[in-house]
Amino acid sequence: MSKPSDLIQGTLDLLILKTIALEPMHGWAIAKRIQQVSKEVLQVTQGALYPALHRLEQQGWVRGTWRESESGREAKFYSLTKAGRVQLDKELEQWQRLSSAVVLVINAGQEA
Amino acid sequence: MTAGRWWDVVRMRFRSLTKRRRVETELDKELRYHVERQTEENIAAGMNAREAREAASRIFGGVSQIEEECRDMRRTQYLENFSQDLRYAVRTLGKNPTFTVVIVLTLALSIGANSAIFGVIDGVLLKPLPYPQAERIARVFYRSTAYPKFPLNPWDFLDFRARNRSFEGFAVYTHADMQLSGAGGDPVKLSAFRISSGYFQVLGLHPAMGREFDFSEERPGNGNVVILSDRVWRNQFGATADILGKKVLLESRPFTVVGVMPPGVDHPGNSYNSVAYGDTVDAWTPFTFDGNPNNRGSHYVEGIGRLKPGVTEEQAAADFNGLMREMATQHEGDKGWTIYMVPLFKEIVGPVHKMLLVLLGAVGLVLLIACVNAANLLLARAAARHREVAMRAALGASRGRLVRQMLAESLLVSVLGGALGAMLAIVGLRVLVAFLPAGFPRLDAIHMSGIVFGFTAAIALATGLIFGLVPAVQASRTDPQQGLRDGGRSSTGGGRQTRLRAALVVGEVGLACLLLVGAGVLLRSFVNLLKSDSGFRPEHVLTAEIALPDATYKAKAAVADFYTRMLANLSALPGTRSAAAGTDLPWTGYDENMGGFTIEGKTPPPNEEFHARYHTASPDYFRAVGIPLVRGRFFDERDKKDSQRTLIINDVMARRYWPGEDVIGKRITFDDNPKESDWFTVVGVVGDVKDKPESAAAEPAFWWPLMQQPFPFRSMTIALRANGDPTLLTDGVRSVVRKLDPSLAVAHVKLMDKIADENFSTPRFALFLVGLFAGLALVLAAIGIYGVISYSVSQRMHEFGMRVALGASSGNLLGMVMRQGVLLAGIGVVIGIGSALLFGGVLDSLLYGVSARDPLTLIGVGALAVVTATLASFPSARRATGADPMTSLRAE
Repeated sequence: MSKPSDLIQGTLDLLILKTIALEPMHGWAIAKRIQQVSKEVLQVTQGALYPALHRLEQQGWVRGTWRESESGREAKFYSLTKAGRVQLDKELEQWQRLSSAVVLVINAGQEA
Repeated sequence: MTAGRWWDVVRMRFRSLTKRRRVETELDKELRYHVERQTEENIAAGMNAREAREAASRIFGGVSQIEEECRDMRRTQYLENFSQDLRYAVRTLGKNPTFTVVIVLTLALSIGANSAIFGVIDGVLLKPLPYPQAERIARVFYRSTAYPKFPLNPWDFLDFRARNRSFEGFAVYTHADMQLSGAGGDPVKLSAFRISSGYFQVLGLHPAMGREFDFSEERPGNGNVVILSDRVWRNQFGATADILGKKVLLESRPFTVVGVMPPGVDHPGNSYNSVAYGDTVDAWTPFTFDGNPNNRGSHYVEGIGRLKPGVTEEQAAADFNGLMREMATQHEGDKGWTIYMVPLFKEIVGPVHKMLLVLLGAVGLVLLIACVNAANLLLARAAARHREVAMRAALGASRGRLVRQMLAESLLVSVLGGALGAMLAIVGLRVLVAFLPAGFPRLDAIHMSGIVFGFTAAIALATGLIFGLVPAVQASRTDPQQGLRDGGRSSTGGGRQTRLRAALVVGEVGLACLLLVGAGVLLRSFVNLLKSDSGFRPEHVLTAEIALPDATYKAKAAVADFYTRMLANLSALPGTRSAAAGTDLPWTGYDENMGGFTIEGKTPPPNEEFHARYHTASPDYFRAVGIPLVRGRFFDERDKKDSQRTLIINDVMARRYWPGEDVIGKRITFDDNPKESDWFTVVGVVGDVKDKPESAAAEPAFWWPLMQQPFPFRSMTIALRANGDPTLLTDGVRSVVRKLDPSLAVAHVKLMDKIADENFSTPRFALFLVGLFAGLALVLAAIGIYGVISYSVSQRMHEFGMRVALGASSGNLLGMVMRQGVLLAGIGVVIGIGSALLFGGVLDSLLYGVSARDPLTLIGVGALAVVTATLASFPSARRATGADPMTSLRAE
């Protein structure tokens, strides 16, 4: 079972925010979507997902509403708030800076 | 961060806190949904239902763990933990009702007592006086080597007012009661003051109607105007709107009303013919005077001024002293005086300031002891809960969490104690005010206020933290391994904790001893006061006051004649043993003093003058008041207007000015160039009476006979000694006076023993409260000793059993345990008495005839503490003797 630390710190938040930026989703669908889009590379465990969702909700970046899901039962759908959208942009920018920096370091190592 | 997001954050936190159950249900539902979807997927992948569910659950991991993490994410953990701690605290406290009740009650008592005393201090010492910018008002007196605080001379006042540079306004006032007649109904005596213009401006007060006096009304002949109080305007004149300009009869003379003061005008207090601060004043008339401006020996007006902004009392006093020196070069009567300037606030509350601080100190000590006691009881219980704490620590509770949990308990206890204490304070403050000594200043300003409640809350929380923190930190140091391995039997919490508890008890006993010494010396002082010979016999004496208007009783002869006829009629009342009149009664604050008279054949020591309290008395005065004759005779019918002039003096005067001589027949005169007829011959010596019971010694004093008074004493006090109940004479007195002159009011009808008793009310009050606090402290200390010894015995039962097996007798064990208690108390006594010796000085000014370091009291307190410790250790010692050797041997 992977722990939140298996993903780079803070990356899970970014993945969640990005995933629900398209449309409101419930927890299970979020996990599934990340798994599918990453071609099964990123396995978001429930143990990491739900605490993260609750933290994002407490911080006012996502909002949870209960409504009927595609399976016909009540599920908690998370959607992005206005503040969440701003936060997503911030995190995206940070991620891009970070990943290009990592790439630079790795490439420099190969040249040497 | 946007406002919208803030709102979301707050809303979510609030929801997590207040709708906890709903949030939990939703979390549960959300997670269940996830498992169900996973199960469905597993079935779709070909598993059977049971396998699918198990696999889904497995992937999901521990539901409760995730739930806990989600809760963590909500970040309301602290508050939730706190409420959890609180609920836990309620449960534990509820399980030990005796423990809880003892702590809560002792805390409530001491917090309540503290708040009540603070309530008095808030009203009397902390609230500003009810005058605008009252801190700028100062009282001005004279001072000389003989008189520390003396009234001003009116001519000097005019010079000061014209020439000083320190005051915005400077005024004088002097007490002169007036009789109001013709307002419908019986004549009434008004408490009245003669005031210079600008008096109310100095106080910052303004008439509700009309105006204050102006300069022109200070001139003799212009002074027949009056300002009435709101009370007199309502009660005597029916609150008529057109009162201004009306004439009213005061002292049988017409006065024009020029002003009416608003309700709630507080008299600033005065010391000459004193009327206390805040007492009723009914009328004010202009202060007028005439005579020779060079004659500056007569002092009877009191100064009050409003300092200019930024000017201090010291600067103003220096300014006045400079003027005083200049005046002394021009006027003989101004020599030898300096200025005594004192802020009005200090003048009013000064006499009780010290006592209130001593009471606050005493009650503060009680709170400290209650704190120590509570800490001690909590420590004892923490020791008993050692295993529980060790278990919690082993299960992963952090140290902070353990401290917080223990603190929740102590805070809960202190909040309960504080709430109960606040209720006690409300009642206690009422009781205190009812029992405050006679003449206590600013009674009206004392009541429960927000500040007092705030104080209560603050000390409740502070005590909770103080007495909770020590045991909490102690407990959190518990080593889980050690605690669990011990298995309970010898889990004493270590020697460190035992020593801490012993130290706390020692401290408790020490503090209690300090209080007991205070109470002890106050008690001895009070007994000394009661035992000291008052010098008069106040029982069975009725007193009243009469004031003759100077318009109708101009001459000395008319005054003497009225009182002689009145006394003759009063003596004839059935039940009267002796009827008398005099300028004053003992212990009523009378301190009219005359200096500079001549004693035949004597010269005063350099830079001093002969001086004595002066009075006048009717023949039976000393018999009626019960002052004994030492030598010679009382006044009688021989002391007529035109016969040889006579005097009665007191013993102090005889011994001071004629040491070792027979004083009968000696002569003094009050005239600078006496004729033969200006000499007064001493015919009697009477016993001494001090100004106040607590005064160090009596002052020299003499009495003129009523018929020979050198100037008319129109205001006199009647004293009637009765055969039986003196109150039965009241109606008789009124009817005698009414028959002689229906325009006269009989005022202040009182029993003399009441007047005498009022002089004991302050020491009695201080003694009662400090005694109460000391008693409380002793009980708390006893509880502390009992707790420590009882705990120690329960820990040592095994050891005692062994001792019995080895041949120790019950007596041995009893002695061993009791010695432990007495040892603790003994160290406490040494500390307590040591600090009493160190700090006793603060009490000295409140004591009479006993030192604050009185050896007898110190020894008595030590003995009391040791006896208390013995009694408090006895039950545990008895328990120790019941140790069973078999149990102990079997355990080995």
